Amino acid sequence: MTNHDTHITALFADDAQAAAAVGALRQTQWPVADVHGPIPSQAISGALGIKKSGVGWFTLAGGVFGFFLGYFLAVFTSARWGLIVSGKPVLSYIPFFIVGFEFTILFSVLANVLGLILLMRLPAHRDLPRYRPECSADRFGVVVSCRQGEAPEVRRFLTELGGEMPEPADTQRDL
Amino acid sequence: MEKLSFAEIDNTVNATLEPPGRMYWTVVALLFCGVLVGAACWGWQILVGIGAGGQNSPVNWGTYLINFVFWVGIAHSGTLISAILYLLRAGWRNPIARAAETMTVFAVCTAGLFPFIHLGRVWMVYYMLPVPNQRTLWPNFQSPLMFDVVAISTYLIVSVLFWYTGMLPDFAVIRDRAAGVRKKIFTVLSLGWTGRYEQWRHYSRGYLLFAALATPLVISVHSVVSWDFALGVAPGWHTTIFAPYFVAGAIHSGLAMVLTLMIPMRRIFNAQRIITMHVLESVAKTIVFTGLIVGFAYATEYFIAWYSRNSVEMEVFAFRSTGDFALQYWIMVICNSLVPLLFFIKRIRTSILWLFAISIAVNIGMWFERFVIIISSVARDFLPHAWGDYAPTGIEYGIMLGSFCLFFFLFFLFVKHLPSISMTEIKELQHQAGTHD
Repeated sequence: MTNHDTHITALFADDAQAAAAVGALRQTQWPVADVHGPIPSQAISGALGIKKSGVGWFTLAGGVFGFFLGYFLAVFTSARWGLIVSGKPVLSYIPFFIVGFEFTILFSVLANVLGLILLMRLPAHRDLPRYRPECSADRFGVVVSCRQGEAPEVRRFLTELGGEMPEPADTQRDL
Repeated sequence: MEKLSFAEIDNTVNATLEPPGRMYWTVVALLFCGVLVGAACWGWQILVGIGAGGQNSPVNWGTYLINFVFWVGIAHSGTLISAILYLLRAGWRNPIARAAETMTVFAVCTAGLFPFIHLGRVWMVYYMLPVPNQRTLWPNFQSPLMFDVVAISTYLIVSVLFWYTGMLPDFAVIRDRAAGVRKKIFTVLSLGWTGRYEQWRHYSRGYLLFAALATPLVISVHSVVSWDFALGVAPGWHTTIFAPYFVAGAIHSGLAMVLTLMIPMRRIFNAQRIITMHVLESVAKTIVFTGLIVGFAYATEYFIAWYSRNSVEMEVFAFRSTGDFALQYWIMVICNSLVPLLFFIKRIRTSILWLFAISIAVNIGMWFERFVIIISSVARDFLPHAWGDYAPTGIEYGIMLGSFCLFFFLFFLFVKHLPSISMTEIKELQHQAGTHD
């Protein structure tokens, strides 16, 4: 909606109220731009229709890569240093699983972090203008996009849903 | 947990970050002096050689390995609390999870110093890394010592990432209340976290995967540490019980350290409403459980030695309980297996004084457990003419003092500069219980 040039933020005391507001807003012409909150909430995620995260695919790929890298490293270094130690074969395939396992965990976690950074788009300092600091403390903030002229009507609508309308930084022209 | 509003949770935790008083800096300065003592002893050892320590033939591993295993063990319950209990949805973990994770990170850092110290020629440490080199030598991945390098490095990296990721939402809380330079620092640290539900969606999933990956890791790491001994053919070491025995012992010692750290912390920061008696009592109950496992392992070792009818094995275990290190052995048994049983009595496990005293006893007992395992087996090896003795030198005591001071120094710095209680997890707990305003 390119003609929506303003954002209005309403703060709600609990996630059920915020989720109800999101549900009500979806019946109007004003789209919900964002919802911020201090804790994860199934009610809000459900109202927003948020799907399961795909970060697990990064983790899985990292794990598979890590296992083969660790196992290959153990095989490669042993093959390069072909000395029999304690009567064990140079290529002791079973103990090499330990190296493979540790690398599986290490690369799964590294890929998990990479996935989080990419999917959450962090660092995300440019999101801060639409953000209310109360949302890290004890409020759930619903950000609504609308036209400048519709702002009073949107505010009234959100107030009726139980939202608090913080002043004056609630309206920002950042689109 | 009693009813707390989100604002009260934030206020309590943010109050811990107020500028500290003179007493705090005095303690920090004293701990730093202890770190310097340890560093000076290590420097002296580098100067004169590894013989500055009391290791000898046949007791080639002394307090450096004892302290290494001790600190790795301390680290483990941090992961138990932050990852395993997270997967089990144990609500009582939330108030202490952050401090326990921090304990893990600093304990692994402290443990990681000891292989360097024990190397003697520390500048040769790169020999352990699998990098192409002019010697055409590669690390031998058939050795449990190399498994250890991989396992401990992985554990440190995973613990630090898990710790930092868990703090992101809390950094945002502090950022939003701070001003000036502090605000700038926490703006950078929080990476612009805003609590958007698009962020929560990935964060919750990623955190769950972190916990799921850290759980097998924590079990593998101390199993690998145990194989440093179990894969050697020394009597008393070469046994399959070592991996579960070490993992249980690690969690036992770590839980005791959690109590040792939490009890003063909740008092100093007036966090009794968050770190409640129920939380401490739950830790105490878990210590009873791990203490029983450890006690069972001690008994099983003797049973295996007797049942095997192996004369060398029987001699080593007889030596442990009646020989030169009998005092250390009985300290171990009493402090780790018998004293924790006092927690069966509700009056004791709900008394701050008793909880603190027993946690200290278990810490001492677990240090001596490592002493008994590492020293006594090689001191009474197969051949009587190769038997030996061991006593730590002043240099070793200095380095040990330095390691304890380093751990507490880092922890003291942490509790005053970063959120030592997870505000987000406490809020989630209150929200699930429906008790917040």
